This record gives sequence, C-alpha cells and structure tokens, in this order.
Amino acid sequence: MRHSLSIAALTLSLAFAATQAVASVSPVTTTQSVTVNGSVAEVCVLGSPNPPSIDLGQMAATSGERVGKLGTISDHSVNLPDAFCNYPGTQISVAATALVEQDESTTPSGFSKAVNFTANVSGWTSSAASVTTAAAADGSNATSHSAGAEENAPQTANLTLTLTNFTAPGDGVLVAGSYNGLVTITLGPDGGN
Amino acid sequence: MTKHRFLIAATLAAAVSAAAGAASAASNIAGPVGVPVTGHAVTFCTTGSLTNGTTVFDLGVLTDTTTGELKNNIAPVSKTLNGAICNTASTINVAAQPMTAQSFTIAPPSGFSRSVDYTATASGWTTTPAVYETSQTTNGGATQSRNSAFSGPITVTLSGFSTTGGSTLRLVSDPNYLGAIVVTLAAGN
Repeated sequence: MRHSLSIAALTLSLAFAATQAVASVSPVTTTQSVTVNGSVAEVCVLGSPNPPSIDLGQMAATSGERVGKLGTISDHSVNLPDAFCNYPGTQISVAATALVEQDESTTPSGFSKAVNFTANVSGWTSSAASVTTAAAADGSNATSHSAGAEENAPQTANLTLTLTNFTAPGDGVLVAGSYNGLVTITLGPDGGN
Repeated sequence: MTKHRFLIAATLAAAVSAAAGAASAASNIAGPVGVPVTGHAVTFCTTGSLTNGTTVFDLGVLTDTTTGELKNNIAPVSKTLNGAICNTASTINVAAQPMTAQSFTIAPPSGFSRSVDYTATASGWTTTPAVYETSQTTNGGATQSRNSAFSGPITVTLSGFSTTGGSTLRLVSDPNYLGAIVVTLAAGN
C-alpha cells in the first residue's frame, strides 16, 4: 500500500513535467532583419538657357538728337526651364559684365566703350536676384555681382533672366566696334558663391 | 538532466518491485508489465545567419546627379541566409519598409519625394518565393507555406526600386535613406 502511493505520486509528477516541456517549445518563430540604406547627394541643376545668347544688334542711334549715343534698347528675356535643387538653403547668384568694346585704344572724353544694364533672375524666390553693372566709360570695372534670397525648401522652378535698363556711362557717344557682355547665373547653397 | 534520469530509473525499479509484490499474493506468475517509453523532438525553426555577416544592403548614392531622379539601375547583390532549418511544416514571411530620408522628415515640396519603394523577395524555402512590395498596402504573396521539414539557404533579393509618388519626382537630398527587411520562419502552417 505504501508502495502504491509512491508510484501514483511519481507518475503524476512525470506527466506534469512532460506537459510543461511540450508547451514551452511549440510553436517556434525566428526572424532575421536586414536593413537597406543609401544616400541622395545635394544637387542643383540649371536648365539650358533659351535663347542661349542675346544679340542687341545696333545699339547706337543713327539719327535724331541722340545720334551716336545709346538708342532705345528693349528688354530681353532668356528662359532657363526646369531648374531644381533637392535640398533647402539655396540661392541664385548673378554675375553680370557690361557690354564692352574690346579696342585697347584710349576712350576720348565724351565717348563710351561700355553699355551697362540690369540683369534680373526671377522664379527662384519671391524676389528676383538683381544686379546692375557699373562699368566706367573706358570699360573698366565691368563686372558686378549679386545674390538673391535664400530658398528654404527643395524646389523646382522655371527661371527667367531679364536684361533691362541699358545705359552708357555718362551717356557718351558709343565708340564704334563690337561689344561683348556676359551674364553668369549660379544656383547653389546659400553663401556658397 | 542527469538528476532526472536517476529519478526515472529509480521509479521504474520501484514500480516493478511493487507489481511483483502485488502479484505474488495471487499467482506464481508476475506480469507481463508494460513499460511505456515516450519522448519528443522540440519543434524549432532558425533562419541561420547571413553569408558575409553584414545585415546591410548599402546602395550608395541613389540618384542620377544630372537629373536628381532615382537611378534606374539599382540592383544590389543578394544576401543569403545559410543554416535555415525548420524540423516541421513551416511558413516563411517577408516584410519590408520603404527607404525613407532620415533627416528630411517633413513633407517634401511639390515635385519631390523622400521615399523609395522596392520589392523584397525571399526565395529558396518554398516553391513560390515570399514577395513583399513596399508600394502595396496588401501583400498576399508575403507569406508562403511548406508542408515538410526543410533545411536550405534563403536568398533575400531587393529589386524594382522606384520613387514613391512617381518616377518623375526627384528625391530630396539626405545622407541616409533607410529601409528594413524582416524574414520570419515559423513552425506550422
């Protein structure tokens, strides 16, 4: 009788242990994690200017009271489509060089071998980036710089360059010859140009 | 474990002794005595480990720097989970999250995106690979089952990279676009 009690008690304890073991191992789930990473570099792109150049033609008046002096030159525009920067904190910078006649001869008094103008680049921020050249009559100091406001978000925009306000230093008579100027537009980080 | 074995042996001895003692009172034959022997194999699955030890798909620069758009030739080398085992029927599941800019966290401006979708495929475990497309809200093929125990490598492949929101969107600049893929093996189906 004493033996029987021991067997019953032991059998129960074994069965309990087996139940515990099965419950603790099923079901089994296992996972493996993998990450994928990459980067996107800061990029700004300016579209190709259209038209690619501006020819003002004959700039001097050939008749009337202003004969020989700068005639009326209408505004000229150039489109730069699909410009973008994919990062915030960007700005437009403009460098404009007055139209200068490249003859190395001395400029006589009352004459001018430079034509100044204002270059506006609009479309990037609410206010245009604008610069006006201030070349002297002899063509010196022809280049001026300016930068627009900061754009605080990535942006895509169509830009427009407009040339206005053509003037000759001292309103002098333009020296005959070929005049060449240049506008350089840069789109990049604020303060980076 | 050693202790358990000792207890079982002692118990069986006691049981036989008790049976013999009980039988001797009625007959000169004792038995037969049945001694059940049982055991079990633990159900388990393991995904093993990655072949080269790294758990990162590093895609480098994601965009074409002339257009600002996602490159169209992103094809990272697959990763292999070696030593994957399930000793019973099982299911495999793959889940993935889009690659998103970790620093540029605000909504992107018009014309831009801060997310890249892709397709994660776990193949080799089931006849039909488990596939998860991060651009889809439901992925019916993400879980696949097999009816038998199995061991073998699982290949994890990423493909079909696309800009979230459309291919014409440009990606905002960010030093870290991050996504995640999780492969799960589960016993039972």
